[in-house]
Amino acid sequence: MSKPIELKNVSKTFRHPMKVWDKVEAVKDLSFSMENGEIVGFVGHNGAGKTTAIKMIMGFIWPNSGEIKVNGKDPGDQEVKKTIGFLPERPYFYAQLTGMELLNYFGRLCGIKGSLLKDRSEKLLRRVGIFDDRNRKLSGYSKGMLQRIGLAQALIHDPQLVIMDEPMSGLDPIGRREVKEIIRSLKKEGKSVIFSSHILSDIENLSDRVLIIENGVKKHFGTVSEIIPPDRIRYKIEFDSPNEMKDAAFALFKGIRVVSERFIIDCDDLDDFNTKLSAIVEKGYPVLNAGGVLPSLEEIVFTTENTEVKQ
Amino acid sequence: MSRMINVAYYTFLEMVRNKVLYVLFFFALFIFGIGIAITQMSIGDVVDIISDTGLATIEMFSTVLAIFLGISLVQKELSLKTLHPLLSKPLSRTEYVLGKFFGMIFLIIVEIIFMSLIFLVLLYFYGAPGRLITYIPAIYTIFLQTSTIIAVAVLCSTLTEPTVGAMLTISFYITGATSYNLVYAITHRTSENVAKVINTLRFILPDFSHFNIKDNLVYGKGLEGLQIGFASFYALFIIVIVISLSIIFFNAKEIN
Repeated sequence: MSKPIELKNVSKTFRHPMKVWDKVEAVKDLSFSMENGEIVGFVGHNGAGKTTAIKMIMGFIWPNSGEIKVNGKDPGDQEVKKTIGFLPERPYFYAQLTGMELLNYFGRLCGIKGSLLKDRSEKLLRRVGIFDDRNRKLSGYSKGMLQRIGLAQALIHDPQLVIMDEPMSGLDPIGRREVKEIIRSLKKEGKSVIFSSHILSDIENLSDRVLIIENGVKKHFGTVSEIIPPDRIRYKIEFDSPNEMKDAAFALFKGIRVVSERFIIDCDDLDDFNTKLSAIVEKGYPVLNAGGVLPSLEEIVFTTENTEVKQ
Repeated sequence: MSRMINVAYYTFLEMVRNKVLYVLFFFALFIFGIGIAITQMSIGDVVDIISDTGLATIEMFSTVLAIFLGISLVQKELSLKTLHPLLSKPLSRTEYVLGKFFGMIFLIIVEIIFMSLIFLVLLYFYGAPGRLITYIPAIYTIFLQTSTIIAVAVLCSTLTEPTVGAMLTISFYITGATSYNLVYAITHRTSENVAKVINTLRFILPDFSHFNIKDNLVYGKGLEGLQIGFASFYALFIIVIVISLSIIFFNAKEIN
């Protein structure tokens, strides 16, 4: 069975918007593939090349070099499109059509007709929470509602692969939770999902694997535990102090900080941690919390010195 | 085919609900009104003047609609990015361009029928409703001419931004509307060699004189046998070439 998405050494260059003779490399030598039924989170700064990569996967633009296969075929192939659902970033649809009309339009393009189309449209409108607004013109939809109708149109033909560019943007916390639930339910249905997001906690919670891209270059691709290596564990001690011992507590070590009336000290390594913990206990300060903490995905992504490419 | 019809239908639906359409429509009614007012102050056959004004209004309104809605057909979708979800569906770019073109054609047909009905009411009011039958060929050639303008507007829409597209489409219209008289005037005032060059150039330039039969009908000059047939062929020739180019350019275009 072919992989839902496979990129091999894909690069894309654009003309510089201001200097026509200059070129901007939006994506450089990008390779990755995803498995059937998995959720891949796509992470990177603004302008990192996420949307460019997604547009190439969708066949809207073409790579300068490299190869892209979607379900084993070229992107843009009509048969491939029948199996893909796509939600663009900040979706905008025909202002004069109603939500129901939009789903009818897109459903018919996918070959769905009659009662099947009606049933599926209504079911999806309920699933994304805008059923009551189905007969309102899209010009009256809020940003969040457009995001929801965008999600409904992406799923109208029951695609096997769903590609979403910033699906959570513009949504309130409840909306975000609902979209996350939809993404999880798609996985339960055996579908493959790739989505980009700036909200790294969402990526961390939802994704089987995470693709991190920076300046068009793949930085990491793997599970969250693979991306956050154990050797990057940080040790931290939190302790309390009676009022009369507070001044002495600050004198214990350099770099002590106070957060919510708790004294916190970061340690360089395990030896440093043990030394400092012993000293704190010896002086009679009550220890509130002590141990190793893994860095968050956010810290990994936004640590600029970590630029090695992990294949 | 069904996908193309689907795009055409929803393009029509989207445009027919556009408020701009109604503004233009009221403007057309206003022009009709001015035409009637002029008849009160003119010497001559009132029905002829009504007919002349009516056909001119239908032509003008259709042209304005074709240019200003036509040039935004694809560009608006590109700038608002409504094109991305659409092209993610099993719809080829060729079907998309054809769907957009026919959606606009459908709008123009409805608009021309609607304006013709108003025209008929006016003729009825001035005691000559039967004249409308006589003018059907003229209305048909207005439709043909407008269809070529829509085709050019679609081409411009796939190539460039709306302002430039509008300028290019208006240039096409002006060239088409004036080329016959211009060539005639130049060739009769210049040397034989220059006249040959200008006459050759005439075959490249659009020439809307092939569609201009309304003067013949209004003033009772009658139609030449093959005029309608040739006008149909000429319009089809322009449309096929221009829409083919649109499809070629749009298929090669990166949708950013």
